[in-house]
Amino acid sequence: MQLKKKQSIRDALAVATCTLLSGVSQTQATEVNDDRWELDTAILFYSEKDRVEVIAPTATAKKAIGEDEFITLRAVYDSLTGASPNGASPTNTAQTFTSPSGESTLTTQAGETPMWEFRDMRLALGVDWERSTSRTVRDTLSADISKERDYFSGALSANRNWDLNDRLTTISAGLGVNYDLISPEGGVPDAGQTVATAKVLGDESKTGTSVLFGITQVINRRTLMQLNYMHAESSGYLNDPYKILSVVDSGTGATLQYLYEKRPDSRSSDVLFWKMVYHLSEDVLHLSYRYFQDDWGIKSHTVDLAYRYELGEKSYLRPRVRYYTQSGADFYNHSFVNGSVPTYASADSRLAEMDSVTLGIKYGRKVGSDSEFSVRLEQMVQSGKDHPSDAIGFQQQLDLYAELEATTIQFSYSTTF
Amino acid sequence: MSQVPINQSTELIQADGYWVGRFQAMASPCEILLETEDSALAKRLLQIAADEAWRIEAKFSRYRKDNIVHQINTSKGKAVSVDEETAGLLDYAQRCCELSEGRFDITSGVLREVWRFDGSDNIPDIPQVKQVLARVGWDKLYWQQPNLQLQDGMEIDLGGIGKEYAVDRTVLLLQEALQEALQQEPDTNFVVNFGGDIYVTGPRKGDEPWVIALDDPRASGVLSSGQIQLRRGGVATSGDARRFLVKDGVRYSHILDPTTGWPVADAPHSVTVIAGNCMEAGMLATFAMLQGKQAKIFLEEQGVPFWTI
Amino acid sequence: MMLKVAPSVIFLALIFFLTACSIEPVKPWDRDLLAEDKMQLVPDALEETLDAHIYFSKESSFGGAGIGGGGCGCN
Repeated sequence: MQLKKKQSIRDALAVATCTLLSGVSQTQATEVNDDRWELDTAILFYSEKDRVEVIAPTATAKKAIGEDEFITLRAVYDSLTGASPNGASPTNTAQTFTSPSGESTLTTQAGETPMWEFRDMRLALGVDWERSTSRTVRDTLSADISKERDYFSGALSANRNWDLNDRLTTISAGLGVNYDLISPEGGVPDAGQTVATAKVLGDESKTGTSVLFGITQVINRRTLMQLNYMHAESSGYLNDPYKILSVVDSGTGATLQYLYEKRPDSRSSDVLFWKMVYHLSEDVLHLSYRYFQDDWGIKSHTVDLAYRYELGEKSYLRPRVRYYTQSGADFYNHSFVNGSVPTYASADSRLAEMDSVTLGIKYGRKVGSDSEFSVRLEQMVQSGKDHPSDAIGFQQQLDLYAELEATTIQFSYSTTF
Repeated sequence: MSQVPINQSTELIQADGYWVGRFQAMASPCEILLETEDSALAKRLLQIAADEAWRIEAKFSRYRKDNIVHQINTSKGKAVSVDEETAGLLDYAQRCCELSEGRFDITSGVLREVWRFDGSDNIPDIPQVKQVLARVGWDKLYWQQPNLQLQDGMEIDLGGIGKEYAVDRTVLLLQEALQEALQQEPDTNFVVNFGGDIYVTGPRKGDEPWVIALDDPRASGVLSSGQIQLRRGGVATSGDARRFLVKDGVRYSHILDPTTGWPVADAPHSVTVIAGNCMEAGMLATFAMLQGKQAKIFLEEQGVPFWTI
Repeated sequence: MMLKVAPSVIFLALIFFLTACSIEPVKPWDRDLLAEDKMQLVPDALEETLDAHIYFSKESSFGGAGIGGGGCGCN
């Protein structure tokens, strides 16, 4: 890192003069980029140890379509293959499952976490329309759709930003709605029923609404801060149609039968999000904290810290650490004791008490005058209670939370043309 | 000086390979030099330049009674809401005040109530100066865009910025107009010269420098008949060789230090600076004058071409 | 590991309002650093979207940084 030389009065005057003159002759400044597209592209490789692999190419393009009016087009294509836990608990014997579509059977060895094998793809498209309705008010309307073989999601959102206080403060308010349709091959199973005999229903759907209020404040010449509050409600079919759970014997811990999971048909959550961006002499620090809670009994804390270390004029390194911890949902357990399965029950490990740590590094480099190339490598480890105190019999010897290790590699390229 | 009638006429003359457009504004002869064969274009650009100079004079002159400066100076302690352009200039003035540690101050004009620079020996006494100084100082006013509130009796004067601002603004407008008119040939360069405050956008054809006459009526000696050769940049002069006071053999410059209320001692008669643009040059020249004896050292530190008289 | 709701909310509010007290009115010409791309709240929107998608499919929490974006069958 180079030390910035002491700012001379001449430099300071040059900046002040430039501010004054560019402020009055705004027409000149906005005309420069008018007809160009800003293009961001990336390809992401996400790979879990012994589980899912994802390849996701993605692109975003933004263009001015008028004075202070922009349009952004977004596209992501995901290709997923591999295995993910089906929710059943490991046992001391081999277990055999029939795949959700009923076409094949899968055998899980003793002590192993049962998985579904799957292959899927997803295409997500989105568009943002951003417009300044006055000198200090900026509106964004967004529409998104996402399509998988067995799932469709559509979402709309509207957001308004108000600049106040000589543009040192921005207040924002947003509203979002979404509609999701779940249509697995062969239909949605009747939640909470025995896997072997469960009725198959038609497609199911869920809807969601969320509101967000935020304030962004320039604290001083080097510091920017944001505080958001978000409330979200969703209702309808909130289960994962592929997740099952094991009902076990209260004495031995042996699996007696499998049930489809059943979650409540509504969920209400609240989020507080705080973020700070701080400019050191050259480097920039990003720090955020999020508190989340919902009426399923999940509470979580997320801390994300990234430090952009400048390697001279053209390139930077950005190490990052993210820590996440959540409490489990009230209706989660690794398995349920025969005769006392509650109304709502799930063994989806994502609803379990768990911690997750991500360590990452990113390298970025400017290419030419307005292009940038970057690559990032991240490693995530998720761990939970592998030997919970309520394990029964031989369960005490087994690993009841399947730890997850995932590696992300992403290559990005941004340019304007 | 009372209200100055604005003489709204222009003249266009063909010189050696370029057009010279002339008019009067801000109590100074103003001209633009433009290297083109196209007389219609030259005429249009001259009109744009003159209109902008007259507009800025009308809007910010403290000698008029129908503008924002008059409204502010007669606000008697009430807040005045100002437009964006005025706000930009006030922000700029505040910044210059900070950078000069209070020596450049657009509220210092009221000191003229006691200091009259007419070559005579009318030196005010200390209590008189103190009394006026109570109404001087950026720190005594309240400025939060768009509201400016002066204490009763305070005044602002944008004269120390206005002419240089007019030059740089005019350059921007002419560049925009040229870009529109000459899309195939946008490298036509020109000079804007408002009473010695100058901006040169680039060299003449064949990389020749412009030769600009410095006939500032305020100046005397070398500068009054001087010429400069310049390829690019802003030029401005601070100081006035004819306005001073002499008492007991001491020559008092007309540059007043608002932190003391007294003229700056041992200031050069005038300072001319070349910088990136006209406002920058003008403010550096003014800052240098306010440094008094240290003027040259200050400018050497800033690394700009300059000369003093 | 788990905190109660109230302390963390109070903690956040405290941070925000304490710093709010020391807000400096940064003038336009002093906003050079704030205007840099790397000082944006979201310096890389694409990365943010991809990350949100990954964590949404592996954890039970979502949202906070902004509104909008579609769901998926991954959760």
